[in-house]
Amino acid sequence: MLELVNISKKFKQTYAVKNMNMFMERGEIVGLLGPNGAGKSTAISIMSSLVEPTAGEVYFDNRSILKNPTSFRKVAGIVPQEIALYEDLTAEENLRFFGRIYQIKGKQLQKRIEDVLQIIGLADRKKEVVKTYSGGMKRRLNIGVALLHEPELLIMDEPTVGIDAQSRKYILETVKQLNKEMNVTILYTSHYMEEVEYLCNRIYIMDKGNLIAAGTKEEINRILSGEKSIVIKASHLTNPFIYELKTYPLVNSVDVMDKQITVMVSKEVNLFKDLIAMADEANIELISVNIKTPTLEDVFLHLTGRALRD
Amino acid sequence: MIGQIIKKQFLLLWRSPVELLLLLALPVVLIVILGSALGNFMDGDSPGMHAKVAMIEHSSEREQFEKFKRDFETDLGLTEDTVANIEKRLPIQTLKTIFHTKEISKMMELEEISVEEKSKILQEDTYTAVIEVPEDFSYQYLSYILLDRKQAPQLQLYENEEKQLSAGAIQSIIKSFQQQLTLESLLEEKGMDQNEAALSTISVEGQQKNLEQSKPITAKEYYTVGMAVMNALFVASTIGLIAFREKQSFVFARIILANMSKWTYFTGVLCSAVIFSLIQLFVIYGFAWLIFDVSWDDLTAFILITIAFSISVGGITVLLTAISYRMHSETVTNLFSSVIVSILALVGGSFFPIGENVQVIELIGNFTPNGSGMSAYLAILRGESIGKIGNHILFLSVFGFAMIMIAAMTFPKRGRMV
Ligand SMILES: Nc1ncnc2c1ncn2[C@@H]1O[C@H](COP(=O)(O)OP(=O)(O)O)[C@@H](O)[C@H]1O
Ligand SMILES: [Mg+2]
Repeated sequence: MLELVNISKKFKQTYAVKNMNMFMERGEIVGLLGPNGAGKSTAISIMSSLVEPTAGEVYFDNRSILKNPTSFRKVAGIVPQEIALYEDLTAEENLRFFGRIYQIKGKQLQKRIEDVLQIIGLADRKKEVVKTYSGGMKRRLNIGVALLHEPELLIMDEPTVGIDAQSRKYILETVKQLNKEMNVTILYTSHYMEEVEYLCNRIYIMDKGNLIAAGTKEEINRILSGEKSIVIKASHLTNPFIYELKTYPLVNSVDVMDKQITVMVSKEVNLFKDLIAMADEANIELISVNIKTPTLEDVFLHLTGRALRD
Repeated sequence: MIGQIIKKQFLLLWRSPVELLLLLALPVVLIVILGSALGNFMDGDSPGMHAKVAMIEHSSEREQFEKFKRDFETDLGLTEDTVANIEKRLPIQTLKTIFHTKEISKMMELEEISVEEKSKILQEDTYTAVIEVPEDFSYQYLSYILLDRKQAPQLQLYENEEKQLSAGAIQSIIKSFQQQLTLESLLEEKGMDQNEAALSTISVEGQQKNLEQSKPITAKEYYTVGMAVMNALFVASTIGLIAFREKQSFVFARIILANMSKWTYFTGVLCSAVIFSLIQLFVIYGFAWLIFDVSWDDLTAFILITIAFSISVGGITVLLTAISYRMHSETVTNLFSSVIVSILALVGGSFFPIGENVQVIELIGNFTPNGSGMSAYLAILRGESIGKIGNHILFLSVFGFAMIMIAAMTFPKRGRMV
């Protein structure tokens, strides 16, 4: 349905997106995961025909959207990262304005507005101006506007940043529902891996403009499938202790964050006793030691040496 | 589709009462304040006014006096005292003395100009008025007074139509000149009675260039126009800012994604600004008409200039929009509303007739949209014909379309919409 081929976007000296390849099939929910500044929004602007890439092509049903954006725009709905609404207008007025811009008229427009308000759960608040809404309500309306023209493809750029848990849950359910009941193909962008893990069949992971991993959830988890992670929390850390860990023969990798260390080891390795001994020797008081099977977060950590969320 | 953009723009303005109040009520308040506070200075003698008056003499008064003395001293049997008295009260010299009195010289500066320069200075705008003294004026004058000649000589007065405000002052000087020229003592000596003396005052034929029916401008009228044209400029920054925020919040991206052409949007912004500027001007002028009795005899001319001026406001709006889109920043628009409008208003004469003293400023003023609009409005208030404001209509339209063209060229190209 949608295909990105060798997309690059350069701003002055630096690449915001570099050599990105990606595809989406009809009916999928695809996740695009990456920390802030990874290049997700830039990639979305390109694949939604707003920005021309420095190099590469974007195809929608095998036709270049760069050369012919019109037919693509008719069936694509974009939910921008920004709250792209008029804060001084009501939900209904916003929907009516954008609906008219989409050339929907009269009774049909009225019906679409009602339907969308129903989907995003704002029917009872439709007469209130947007600036009185909570962050979550604004996010929902932001999605609603992109649904007016009944798109086949919905591209969502971080639709859940900075909102309460309840709205977040509502949005996640709505996304699932849109995909299931209306067969909308969805690209879901986030820096929350649990959202992506919950919604998506296939996942792309981006960092610093590069795709660093791609595949189904299982495939990606398999990157670390032979391993498990040990998360150590300590009152303080010393360099000799970290050095000791890093050079310890059975340890595959060590990541240090604040007073927390994540150590990756092979599944069968039991490091527990050795760890206690090492900590004792270094005069370090351990607060907790957790052993987990790896998550997307760990994959990201493993691939980049950094946590997803900062 | 353009209609949707305009409709939304008005809904947005309607929903931000503070902005609406600033655009519509503030100018009215300013007119009230400036019109009454500065009313005296505008309508009466003005400490701030400094007009330049040129005088062209075709021949020296002294030579004419000598000639008159040679020709008639013996015929008339004038005593030495009388001759000395006449000499002290020669008309042109008297006129110059009036201009050099303390009160008058504060307001007016008299400059003597050679005959060769006459046509040049009449073309320019440097002088508020030009007094031309014909050849033999003083000789004729003396003949008229002392030889009872029928025909009184006449001074030629050219008034600069652009500088109506000082015209009243000059007229009062001429009046006082006429009074001083009764040459009472001189005539007493000659034995004439006072009635005849009054009759023999000099007649100054003021030739007001194309200004037969001109009316003086009152302070209220002046500030109505000044504030109206200044505040219309704020329409440009207000609507320009709304448009820029649409880009910043990705609303513009949404509009583009809905397959609306960016030119439709551009035209929508332009039309909103033109229409809002029109509404604003009509509200301000309507209010001034109701409250201050500022009325427009030539309604056609008034409407034409209002439309032309609104087009130029529209032009500024889209230019501000295009630049802020291009620069990803509202700095230019904020700079416009905080600094540039004030400068334009000052140079254009919204606060006081700044161009009256300095010709360069007046010239620059007429090349600002508000200054040009203001000159045109004032001309209509003075009762001038449409023909007189044609150049302003032309300038404003050309200015507006030039802005629109530059804006269109600056507007982001395809593929750079965010
Ligand atoms: N218009 C732009 N001009 C210059 N740099 C930009 C522009 N847009 C984005 N960038 C840079 O590109 C990188 C990727 O940004 P973005 O796509 O917004 O990341 P994300 O959405 O993943 O947080 C960032 O370093 C950002 O500063
Ligand atoms: Mg982003």
